[in-house]
Amino acid sequence: MAIRRANMKGKPFCLAVLLLGLAGLSPALAASDTATPDPRDLIRAAMEHWRGITSYSEMTMVIHRSDWERSFSMQAWTEGDKLSLVRVTEPKRDAGNGTLVKDQSMWTFSPKINRILKVPSSMMNQSWMGSDFSNKDISKSTDIIDQYDHRLLKAVREDDHFLYTIESIPHEEAAVVWGKEIVVIRDDYVMLRQEFWDQDDILVKVMQATELAQMDGRIIASRMRMQKIETPGEWTEMAVDAIDFDIDIAPSLFTLSNLRNPRQ
Amino acid sequence: MQGFRLHFVMLLRLSWRNLWRNHRRTYIMLGAISVGVWAMIFMTALMRGMVDDMLNQGIHNLPGHIQIQHPAFLDDPSVVNSIAEPEGELLAALNQPGVKRWATRIKVPAVIASERESRGINLLGVEAEAEADITGLPAQVSEGRFLESNQDQGVVIGAKLAQRLETRLGKRVVVMSQDPDNNISERGFRVVGIYRAEMPGLEEYNVYAARDTLQKLLRIEGRVSQIVIVDQDYRDIESLYRRIEKVTPSTLEIKPWYEIDNYLAAMFNMMDGFVLVWVIIIFLALSFGLVNTLVMAVFERVREIGLIQALGMRPRLIVYQILLESLLLLLIGLAIGNGLAIITVKPLESGLDISMVAEGMAMMGASSMLYPNLTLHDMLLANSVVIILGILTSILPAWRAAHLDPVRALNST
Repeated sequence: MAIRRANMKGKPFCLAVLLLGLAGLSPALAASDTATPDPRDLIRAAMEHWRGITSYSEMTMVIHRSDWERSFSMQAWTEGDKLSLVRVTEPKRDAGNGTLVKDQSMWTFSPKINRILKVPSSMMNQSWMGSDFSNKDISKSTDIIDQYDHRLLKAVREDDHFLYTIESIPHEEAAVVWGKEIVVIRDDYVMLRQEFWDQDDILVKVMQATELAQMDGRIIASRMRMQKIETPGEWTEMAVDAIDFDIDIAPSLFTLSNLRNPRQ
Repeated sequence: MQGFRLHFVMLLRLSWRNLWRNHRRTYIMLGAISVGVWAMIFMTALMRGMVDDMLNQGIHNLPGHIQIQHPAFLDDPSVVNSIAEPEGELLAALNQPGVKRWATRIKVPAVIASERESRGINLLGVEAEAEADITGLPAQVSEGRFLESNQDQGVVIGAKLAQRLETRLGKRVVVMSQDPDNNISERGFRVVGIYRAEMPGLEEYNVYAARDTLQKLLRIEGRVSQIVIVDQDYRDIESLYRRIEKVTPSTLEIKPWYEIDNYLAAMFNMMDGFVLVWVIIIFLALSFGLVNTLVMAVFERVREIGLIQALGMRPRLIVYQILLESLLLLLIGLAIGNGLAIITVKPLESGLDISMVAEGMAMMGASSMLYPNLTLHDMLLANSVVIILGILTSILPAWRAAHLDPVRALNST
């Protein structure tokens, strides 16, 4: 498949989920300059734009620690907000490691042990491939729309865009540990920043779009950094090197057999 | 008959007087017997208290005296091995008088997560009201409250777990587990209570939520992991066990506590033997003093015994006389010893704080409060051992006294 290289800026969040939240679409925004948008609709819109959209991207993930750093190259396919497949291509010793997300279930494949493992609930809070993203960050998708109460904190005009800051407080029964999340969405539905606050109103971690780029006709957050506040020297960065939207994806792509034996 | 009575009264009078001829020696011997008997009973009461406490806690942790569950549940406590809530005959049997309390509960492995930590736990879905009788947990809640109903939306976690999760009362945590189809089921819970368990290990491990809430979360409406039955006394559950076993469907497994936890059962069974050994050891120490006293008493009275033999007293009656003397000594000693034991144990029954010397007792499953348990059975055991073995050890000096040659005895100086 043809891949258009990005000029420079760009990287999405992790998988479909993250891509979902972070990449925006330029259309559909005309109206927002005038009226104050409903915050829930804003978040929904940011996510809905992805529904039914397919993508193929090449990404680089850098895991930075105070005394070491490693980077992975990977390929990712997504379809809507429910399906995604990521496969590591570099470095060699991790090549072939894959993750498949289908609805809320998640499987990983490691060629070294030649086994597919379904990630059990007990491991959902553990780190994904050693990064600052948890498995849950990777597999969760649109929960934020319905399981939170949203409130628009402020709308600021910056250059040509409005930036909406939305405070999202999870419902009592939501499977969310955070006290609140604060999301900054641009009026073209690019999610610029997502903050995770604990229940004592202390900021725990931040996902920040550090670069935006136009890729394959859409503006996306092409470089995102996930950082835990308590450990300033440690972060994980995801950069989109190239992305194609609206590609044809064979139905067999998001299957366990394809996770084990790549055919695309 | 008349003759025997006469002999007996005479012998009793003789023995009694003999006993107080050397009253200092008798007082010393009485002191030894009293202290020995006191030690037997007092220490036994302490040990009983300790073991009872361990058994009670162990049974609280099982929990219950009788459990009904899926046959595979004990080996694989997963949500798949659930059973339907009791109905029909079983339900009727459970509601009969004689069952002190019964309850259903859910028990599944789960993960609890706060903003900063997540840990593996044992998630328990309990019936809020029954819990006081079954595990006594509500009394251990140190902050907040225990669950208030079967639909309560909160969780109660241990103090240690709260510390590990860096969370506290009033904050939300997320509990994750799996439904029978292996799908992830999770939701947020507010911590409504924090408990402190006698055993710190449990604090970190057991998390309590309301039963109906968990059924919904795990998508097992109408199903539970276990039926837990509490009888009046854990020592005596046989009749109830058999009654309920009869009406338990054959697809389910019913087990009494001593089959679920062999360690507890072994401890329970060993205790009686242990008490007997303890009593006998103390008695052995005591018996040397007793024999010595009697031998001395006989030795001092060789001439006297020779004289009454020469006057026509039968050797058998001499044996009786010495044995009676020993029996009187033992009975007085026992009376004092028992009295001492009762006086010292009774004030302690409200609890003896041994936390200063008992760090680490918790690891054995005992608490730092010791509640001595004085049982009639143990007192009878100690008393009968002392009397029976006491008489037996007295036979030798008595027999020797009876077989003195009157002529030589009279001539001895």
